[in-house]
Amino acid sequence: MGSVEVDIFNGFEYSKKYDSLKVLHAHDQIKELQSILRDRNTSRSDFKFYADRLIRLVIEESLNQLPFTDCKVVTPTGATYNGLKYKSGNCGVSIVRSGESMEQGLRDCCRSIRIGKILVESDAETHEARVVYARFPEDISQRHVLLMYPIMSTGNTVSKAVNVLKEHGVKEECIILSNLFCTPAAVQTVLDSYPKMKILTSEVHPVAPNHFGQKYFGTD
Amino acid sequence: MAAKIIMPEPPSSASSDSDVEETQADFSEVFPDCEVEEEKSGDFYNTPASPITVPYCPRPPSTGSQKSPKSRRQRTTSLNQQSKKTATESMIRTQHRTIYTAGRPPWYNSEGQKVVPFIIGICGGSASGKTTVAEKIIESLGVPWVTLLSMDSFYKVLNEQQHEIADRNEYDFDHPDAFDFDLLTQTLQRLKEGRKVEVPIYNFMTHSRESRTKTMYGANVIIFEGILTFHHPKVLEMLDMKIFVDTDADVRLARRLRRDISQRGRDLEGVIKQYTGMVQPSFNHYIAPLMVHADIIVPRGGENEVAIQLIVQHVHTQLQLRGLKLREELMQANAYIGQARPDTVRLLPTTPQIRGLHTFIRNKDTPRDEFIFYSNRLIRLVIEYTLSLMSFNEKLIESPQGVPYSGKRMSTNKICGVSILRAGETMEQAVCDVCKDIRIGKILIQTNLQTGEPELYYLRLPKDIKDYKVILMDATVATGAAAMMAIRVLLDHDVAESNILIVSLLMAELGVHSIAYAFPKVQIVTTAIDPEINDKFYVIPGIGNFGDRYFGTEPADEC
Repeated sequence: MGSVEVDIFNGFEYSKKYDSLKVLHAHDQIKELQSILRDRNTSRSDFKFYADRLIRLVIEESLNQLPFTDCKVVTPTGATYNGLKYKSGNCGVSIVRSGESMEQGLRDCCRSIRIGKILVESDAETHEARVVYARFPEDISQRHVLLMYPIMSTGNTVSKAVNVLKEHGVKEECIILSNLFCTPAAVQTVLDSYPKMKILTSEVHPVAPNHFGQKYFGTD
Repeated sequence: MAAKIIMPEPPSSASSDSDVEETQADFSEVFPDCEVEEEKSGDFYNTPASPITVPYCPRPPSTGSQKSPKSRRQRTTSLNQQSKKTATESMIRTQHRTIYTAGRPPWYNSEGQKVVPFIIGICGGSASGKTTVAEKIIESLGVPWVTLLSMDSFYKVLNEQQHEIADRNEYDFDHPDAFDFDLLTQTLQRLKEGRKVEVPIYNFMTHSRESRTKTMYGANVIIFEGILTFHHPKVLEMLDMKIFVDTDADVRLARRLRRDISQRGRDLEGVIKQYTGMVQPSFNHYIAPLMVHADIIVPRGGENEVAIQLIVQHVHTQLQLRGLKLREELMQANAYIGQARPDTVRLLPTTPQIRGLHTFIRNKDTPRDEFIFYSNRLIRLVIEYTLSLMSFNEKLIESPQGVPYSGKRMSTNKICGVSILRAGETMEQAVCDVCKDIRIGKILIQTNLQTGEPELYYLRLPKDIKDYKVILMDATVATGAAAMMAIRVLLDHDVAESNILIVSLLMAELGVHSIAYAFPKVQIVTTAIDPEINDKFYVIPGIGNFGDRYFGTEPADEC
């Protein structure tokens, strides 16, 4: 138990040098959501309910990373409000299968956003990740991409996916990974290879709740 | 924003006429058990919402009673009138009940503290015209919320032996011993504190209290009338103004005779025997001496216009001194300028996302479809943020990975939402999306267009709300008048001040300070605070009328 605590500490310590890693402000409410998702005694309906809540928060926060410009609008009272406007030209890309759990959250925030998909499978024998399927909007190279993948334990899958995106002409600095749980090792793997992309997560912890996809989709 | 909801025509009701029966059924279904509950715990806090139901209680012809049989007059009522003219129009009369539909104006001052009501006591002999005087005062006062309490409700329950005496016309109903003064003082005291009370309904046939009671609320003015209102020293102490109606004994006898003979079909001899044997001696012995306590003696009862005008003037002066002009007062409370924002304010971090959402919903050209969509997103964020303000406990979690995880659990699952109609209702869905099976209460507060004051119209809260953390929702808060009324209602239901969170999308600086000053323990959660309020109580730059834009009810000439 003690060693685990030290590891958590290390995890935070060494994620700090990555400027492009953003962790959701860890207030108690988010901690509770994480606790429920990690609890083995959580029922499946609760699991899905609270997972959706956490996903929504992560997505909302991810949208904060997208580019915007200032704009002024007139309110019904006739006064002017100094607001801002998001630039168009964003899209989502989910990594099949667990990344698809986050699509609804994105849809709830951006109704007509385009969503691409990537299927990455790891070889049963060599454990090497391999892209099986990828389908993107045609002009993806011009867009900011919200890459969705909830659990990242090694970072291999995400690395492959980013690689595919780059092959399609997406700029590295235009990729934002929306993630719920990741390990320090995964952060290191991904950001060492692609230092210009951003990672937004709710928690960096040495133990990743790998049961997420199984429990969310009910295939456990 | 409740404050700007279009007020129904004064005489029209909160519920449409065709709903009357339904409304009643609803009330008798929902209120009884909650009242029983409150009664048990001894906490009758006022539930000051209209429609108030006043059970109709015909007094049966009291053939056996020495007490003069009164006509089927409603002796104890909660009048809630806008003005003379609408007094009757704002009620719905059905066979068994009268429902008052006008809203309850503020019963507390701008600091959120309750204002003690002005209590008028009216004393005088039987058939002296006390009720007429009371009615005339209510009529001329024009005060929106008056409660009329009659001593007749507090006759003691008779035992079998006394019952027989009464049957023989020998029980003295004009003697002080005939009244339950303990219950009377208790009831009056509660009313004075602005609490809800259950007034017994006395049945003159069985000489007992009926199982149902009448619910009454504290008011700005309470009128207490009866033959021995000045008899008990404790009651005397509570009265702010004491009126004695002095009508000539002959006139009183004449009135009794006419009433009893023509309306009750009783014989002259019996009435006179009653009168000379008990009513008159009792008057001379107990009632007449009470005249010394009176501030004003009104000769000739209700016909005495001069006396009544004097009384009304005095009451007006007193009410003004106590001050109930709430919203105006709040507007003038400019003391906050330059002061630091209160530390109970929890403003969401202004991220680009929140500003972007505000840009959409503040823009007057945003179509409704988008307005609703982006409002809902913003509401979800503010509700999530609100939940993060709850208290949490450490908890060690067993994970499927076999590694223990030190997590957190919310320390209470007793959270409920209360929305301030109408705009607050837009936030209910988000609360339900975030908290499974959450209970939702509702409060309807509307602005009286004549006075500009908020008025309470409707209230439905979870039974055991005092044990809950309450998320009080209103989309926008301008002066804070409606929010303060809602908070006051919750406090009156025993919710701890520190358990209340007022949640909104947009607040004006002024409202924030007024609420924080009046209720320093209430947490104020919002996504933006705007600097100003215009003369129509709209926030500047603001959102406009949130409820109208969300529900699509904006007047055609605006927008």
